[in-house]
Amino acid sequence: MTNFIQLLIGGVLTGCIYALIALGFSLIFRVTGVVNLAQGAFCILAALACASFETQFGWSILASCIGAVAVAVTVGAVVGATSFVPGLTRLSNANMLMLTAGLLTVFEGAMQLVWGSQPYALEPFSGQEPLAFAGITIPTQGLWMLGITGVLVLALWALLTRTRLGQALRACSENPTAARLMGVSVPRMTLFSFCLSALIAAIAGVVIAPATSLQFDSGRLFTVSGFIAAVIGGIASLPGAIVGGLVLGVVNSLATAYLSSLYSSAIALGLLLMVLVWRPSGLMAGGPARRQDVRDEARVWKRVHRLTPEARRFAAVAALIGAIALPHGMASEAILSSLVIVGILFIALIGLDLLMGWCGQVALGQAGFMAIGGYTAAGLAIEYQVSPVVGILAGMMLSLVCALILSVVTLRLRGLYLALATLSFGLLVTSFAVGLTELTGGPSGMVGIPSLEIAGYAFDTTESMYHLVLVLDVALIVISQGVMRSSFGRAIQAIRTDQMAAAALGVNVLRTKLVVFAVSAMLASLSGSLYAFNFHFLSPDMVDATRSLELVAMLVIGGEGTLIGPLLGGLLLTLLPTVFAPLASAKTLVSGLLLVGCFLWLPHGLYGLLVDGLNRIFRRIGGAARSGAPSEEGAR
Amino acid sequence: MTAPLPHAASRPGLEVRNLCRSFGGLQATADVSFSVPFGTVTALVGPNGAGKTTLFNLVTGIVRPQSGEVFFDGERITGVSAGKIASLGLIRTFQTARVFPGLTVLENAMVGGHRRVRTSPFAHMISLPSARREERALRERAEAMLDIVGLSRVRDTHAVELPMGSQKLLEVVRALMAAPRMLLLDEPAAGLNDSETADLAALLRAIRDCGVTVLVVEHNMALVMSVAQQVVVLEAGAVIACGGPDEVRADPRVIRAYLGAETDTHGGRS
Repeated sequence: MTNFIQLLIGGVLTGCIYALIALGFSLIFRVTGVVNLAQGAFCILAALACASFETQFGWSILASCIGAVAVAVTVGAVVGATSFVPGLTRLSNANMLMLTAGLLTVFEGAMQLVWGSQPYALEPFSGQEPLAFAGITIPTQGLWMLGITGVLVLALWALLTRTRLGQALRACSENPTAARLMGVSVPRMTLFSFCLSALIAAIAGVVIAPATSLQFDSGRLFTVSGFIAAVIGGIASLPGAIVGGLVLGVVNSLATAYLSSLYSSAIALGLLLMVLVWRPSGLMAGGPARRQDVRDEARVWKRVHRLTPEARRFAAVAALIGAIALPHGMASEAILSSLVIVGILFIALIGLDLLMGWCGQVALGQAGFMAIGGYTAAGLAIEYQVSPVVGILAGMMLSLVCALILSVVTLRLRGLYLALATLSFGLLVTSFAVGLTELTGGPSGMVGIPSLEIAGYAFDTTESMYHLVLVLDVALIVISQGVMRSSFGRAIQAIRTDQMAAAALGVNVLRTKLVVFAVSAMLASLSGSLYAFNFHFLSPDMVDATRSLELVAMLVIGGEGTLIGPLLGGLLLTLLPTVFAPLASAKTLVSGLLLVGCFLWLPHGLYGLLVDGLNRIFRRIGGAARSGAPSEEGAR
Repeated sequence: MTAPLPHAASRPGLEVRNLCRSFGGLQATADVSFSVPFGTVTALVGPNGAGKTTLFNLVTGIVRPQSGEVFFDGERITGVSAGKIASLGLIRTFQTARVFPGLTVLENAMVGGHRRVRTSPFAHMISLPSARREERALRERAEAMLDIVGLSRVRDTHAVELPMGSQKLLEVVRALMAAPRMLLLDEPAAGLNDSETADLAALLRAIRDCGVTVLVVEHNMALVMSVAQQVVVLEAGAVIACGGPDEVRADPRVIRAYLGAETDTHGGRS
């Protein structure tokens, strides 16, 4: 019994932190209708800054905490003003979600550069000695967590209900247009809410830091926990955020103690999915209903980028000749092996492109399927000497099954919720990859994976892998192009922007989405298997949430909804660190920055640039060839 | 000239029985019943807020009725999903043109043909001759349709770049590509200029002459009177008159509720 109470108290204490982050989610969501995935990063930023102030500058605890929170809020203000607020007027809600995922990547990359990847822990505010009575011990830091949460909640409540500022903020959330008519500056209020939630998250980070160890990428765990808490409570409801946080904290604490820490994230995910299915508005629905449609607003689709036929033929032939010629003395071994990686990732990227770019469903857990494919094929090959091809097929089947189970839930979800469900699926797979040590080799990875072998021929050199991947990719492009030009392809693109109009024409929306989701999962699985065979090694961090976000970055940077775009994005992000060695350590930061930049300034990605450039050249050549013929003709 | 009235003997295509739906305190449709015989053009008219679009949404499965039933060709379709209803051949357009962004005009039209495509995506993957043949046939049909409404010149343009009037025509074409047994048009003439409206009227008559059953919501009375054989008048969610155009035009309740103000401007010439 004492033990149980002990666990309960522990749960409530962590729950406080979840509740604070969830509060930040709800606050921003109410004002903008967007979920800010970078929320957890402010926690870590403040905690790490606090650690530096304390240990390197020798500041007092109080001074370090205030300094750290100030740093986080300042950074929040700059980031909010330069990316979040301008993005709101240009991007659809789901794309805003991707933008904040990009911001999370930027934060993680920057913090990795500044603080390295080792974990940091702070000294508790009032010493190590815990309070004890009736056999129950409470760390003093827990009391700080409880107290500060209480003070923050009260302060927030007072701000929202008792001040003009709070009134304006609430006006923005009830009806932005009316608020604007009443003279409230909505962008300024948005920025204010962004900073306010950064402040809350930063304080949470500083307070939790002594109770656990944090590193540059712990932010995403806070983001996910905070989001799950917010959804359980009802994302538009501020009291709901607190309830959700406490529920999640207690459930997590009990699950970790009585089952295993391995299953605590599974249970959190299960809780999330249950709430999403049975009570999508959460336990405590509140606030105005926000539209969570598919990516309905026109963002990317201001223009259609198509190559003229002659330009397309020329580019295809040139690219193919280049790709075949490359291994023969034109590329170094390092570049060639990078190209193999690009080629392997491209398989997953096409799947993601199908799902996100063409069909408009945001997916943040693609690497989860890569992990399933990689571990299944490699594990079977090591343990049972199963031939790689059979292993790959088994992995694809397993991914298909997982995708079908997941889609029972996710097909009912759209936009925001779908993105978060897939993100938590990816995290779930990672936690299994780390936890099931006897199957996967745990955090240190699976070693001794054989080379890929097809019908007795072993692909054990970089060059042979390169040729295999080249053939696969070309086949994939040809097949995808065929599908995209078919009725099925057009139906997918119709669903992307207008499910209702598509259904009204007799398109079976649910089945089409299911097929696309399953295909993308199987392609990711295939890519994961090849990845494992290529490296002869697979560890959880090769196929974790960072990888999922990286795939999204490659897709958006290259140009979603195109077949060649993802290839360009993959090439850029993979080759940059190889060609410019200093960039290698800043890879995450660069990919995050490029992702955010593309969302804001280059909506058509590299492919859009390329097509415009090529078309212009061919127009000029065509015009010159006709010498005097009206150039308009050449353009058509 | 107004086409002859359909006789009671002709087979009822769409039958709406006692449909009720309210949104909060607003009774959008109250006990609405009427039927649309196969092979006729029926117009649904009424002042703004009379519940016309709600009725469309109820019939096409986008909104569920609280009570009442809808039958199409004798089959009960109340509460059936929008996709299923469309697959029965009941195809609608939307009040604001909803062309698919990211697709060209021609591709938009071809999406309409989706429900009649028989070859599987796998056949298209390896471009089997059967798939290529079907694709070519679909493309030719779409091109012919676009030609009829004068959109073939812009067929490779991004659909959302078209002016509103052309987008609405494109939407009608897209619906026709779905080979509807019954076409539901929601204010096809709204936002169209005079010459576009004339094009639309010609298109509607052509559709009617092809034997496609049409239910059209329209404010343009001249258009309604020239095309429809049956007119259903809605006011405040209820049917206040139903019959041939001349009969309805003479109905005092209709004149009071709706046409009274309109007769001077449009109603006179038909």
